[in-house]
Amino acid sequence: MSIVEARGLGKRYGGTWALRDCTLAIPAGHVAALVGPNGAGKTTLLNLVVGLAGPSEGLVSVLGGRPAGSPAALDGIAFVAQDTPLYRSLTAADMLHMTRNLNRRFDDRFARTRLGELAIPLERSAGELSGGQRAQLALTLALARHPQLLVLDEPMAMLDPLARHDFMATVMTAVADDGVSVLLSSHVLAELERVADYLVLVSHGRIQVSGEVDDLLAEHCVLTGPAAESAAYAERLSVVHARRGEAQAQLLVRTNRGSHAVPAGWEKHRVSLEELTLAYLREPAAAALPGPRAAANAVRAMR
Amino acid sequence: MTALPMDSLPDPHLRPLPWRRMAWVTWRQHRLTLAGVAALFGAPALYLLVRGLQLHHAYAPITACQPAASNRCAAEAHQFSAAYAHGAIVTAGLLQVIPLLVGAFVGAPILAREFETGTFRYAWTQGFGRTRWTIAKLVPLALAVALTAAAFGALFSWYYQPIVDVGGDSDSSLLAATIFDVHPVAIAAWTLVAFAIGALAGVLIRRVIPALFATLAVWAALAFLTGAFLRPHYQAPVVTTAAATPRSALVINQWWTFDGKPASLDMLNRALRPVDVQALTLQDFQPGPATPPTVGDPVRYLIRHGYTQYTSYQPTSRFWTWQLIEGGWLLALSLAVIAITIRQVSRRAT
Amino acid sequence: MAALEFRLDPGSGLPTSQQLVQQVEHALRLGHLQPGDRLPKVRDAVASLAINPNTVLKAYRELEIKGLVEGRPGQGTFITASLNQVGLPELAKLRRSLLGWLASADTAGLDSDGMAALFASALRDFADRRDGGAAHAGSVQVA
Repeated sequence: MSIVEARGLGKRYGGTWALRDCTLAIPAGHVAALVGPNGAGKTTLLNLVVGLAGPSEGLVSVLGGRPAGSPAALDGIAFVAQDTPLYRSLTAADMLHMTRNLNRRFDDRFARTRLGELAIPLERSAGELSGGQRAQLALTLALARHPQLLVLDEPMAMLDPLARHDFMATVMTAVADDGVSVLLSSHVLAELERVADYLVLVSHGRIQVSGEVDDLLAEHCVLTGPAAESAAYAERLSVVHARRGEAQAQLLVRTNRGSHAVPAGWEKHRVSLEELTLAYLREPAAAALPGPRAAANAVRAMR
Repeated sequence: MTALPMDSLPDPHLRPLPWRRMAWVTWRQHRLTLAGVAALFGAPALYLLVRGLQLHHAYAPITACQPAASNRCAAEAHQFSAAYAHGAIVTAGLLQVIPLLVGAFVGAPILAREFETGTFRYAWTQGFGRTRWTIAKLVPLALAVALTAAAFGALFSWYYQPIVDVGGDSDSSLLAATIFDVHPVAIAAWTLVAFAIGALAGVLIRRVIPALFATLAVWAALAFLTGAFLRPHYQAPVVTTAAATPRSALVINQWWTFDGKPASLDMLNRALRPVDVQALTLQDFQPGPATPPTVGDPVRYLIRHGYTQYTSYQPTSRFWTWQLIEGGWLLALSLAVIAITIRQVSRRAT
Repeated sequence: MAALEFRLDPGSGLPTSQQLVQQVEHALRLGHLQPGDRLPKVRDAVASLAINPNTVLKAYRELEIKGLVEGRPGQGTFITASLNQVGLPELAKLRRSLLGWLASADTAGLDSDGMAALFASALRDFADRRDGGAAHAGSVQVA
């Protein structure tokens, strides 16, 4: 089942297209990271997924075919927006009460236990909590709904390293316990390797890369070798990004799995998720999208 | 954490969550606002209660005065009027602003605040759904402000009754703009429309302070235009040739004819010159109470000499009809504005 | 309580699941882990390291394929074997041949870092060939 599907999705604000021609099929049971430069369209895509914005063209559906924003979609998706907005004058207990009233499913016992473990006082107003506590409160409210999909929009931007670690630990534990799928946008590439097993890279309003992290890392490698030969090999290999010094060149290459051997005099290195992401961000024209068969499956599923 | 047994995927055709779930939410989020409404109406209400008891107490002997038509009783009535009417008119004038304040300060922040603080990103992604959430907030709060205003208006109506009963001039008339506005049906409707305009401004402008200013401006313009131009025409005015019109009537227009043809001020002045009467000034021809008989009545003189005075006016007997007319169209307008607001919520993207 | 706690080394350059596998193998080699010891529950590893549960599952699967661990439903993942210890005479023989190679490399002009780089590259190639099967062997016709 695809937890998020988009076909030809586009969103326009006035005359500007924030997103254009986006096609995606994120499978359930994954932690999908949405990365990209500021203004690339990450928040727009998330808003479309959770139903806060409507598409200007194309379709987006969630949780196996439910239209984004529909009551069935809202029921199964929990969203924690940037800056974790909460009602500042309400207490945590009030927020629990409110979230319980506004949803079909709410695990009050889980929420109270969790807040107790985090030492977040129930009777203090949300405005008096620290940034990390507010983020954990918002996350607790979201997880207590036992959603099928948890969507996080740069939830850790305002948090210190310890708070960030605790936040992600909470999310990952929920994945382990509940099997919830996660879609999170983040700037912090270094931390993504630990948590993400699906990558979506958005750049200039288009999806540049989308796929399972394992597959992407297996399909890419860095070849280092003499700079003089690099031009010749660049024609035969699918080079994403090249760095050339006077004597040595490094080519980040996309390959077909299976047979690719290293030319004599060259070395092959494993590529990290961070390196891969940076390379694609530097080369807006390059793309690593699922092959025609995968796209066709996605299209078929959405009909 | 004990994982809840995950049921099979919920039926995509879900029954909506019951409305009463939002009752606590609306109350908890807006209880301070509602307290403010209570205070804003409550403080003047206390004043009206106290003052109203005084008024009624002072008026009681006037009704008991016998014979009613004698000069003595008339003088007492005049004394009462002189003592209390002006204060009541000023009070009504000050109360004009309350419907606007209540409506605007309750209506505008409901949606504007959510946008301003970003909390709509929480509220509109919960299972309840944004459209029903909005309805569940707007309807109860609209009812609350309208009913409170109506009750306040009823209190004012009771307070003001002696002034009406003793009879007065057009300034204290029930049809006078500031007096009319504060009676029950009108004040409820004006409060409701302020609320509705506030809510719409909130969803369109998305910032509380600018939405408040926009609400103030729009409501003030609407109120002014209604009082000055629309209201006097709710019904076709009565046209009479009588020398004197009821003192409390709302005079629309007054004009003279001679021999069936319109008579100008010049003509009238020439007619009056031989008589020992001060030359009429334009003031005397303005819509207003007929000149009291103590100043050698130029009006009766002119009438005796073949001139005809026409007065078009609205009698105060039409007061309750007009309350209902005004209440009716304001209610329709409010409902339309609220409907547009709800539609904006369901369509508007971030 | 589990027999060991995992840690992450952000500078190691290895994927997280590889790090976990290596930590288990390292502990086995040193004798810190014995057959019958329980590895951390997936949930506990996830909660302390803030990593994707699939990563832990992948590591445990790989260890299971290598025959080192066994998953018992409802109880956890347990060590079932110790790593094949290479016998001392065998080790001594390997060490001697390695010293011989180092001497040749020195004669050819490689310095210590050069030797280390060459060794690391050859080790990677060897591991790829061994793990990836015949497909990776040999050179593709690039000329």
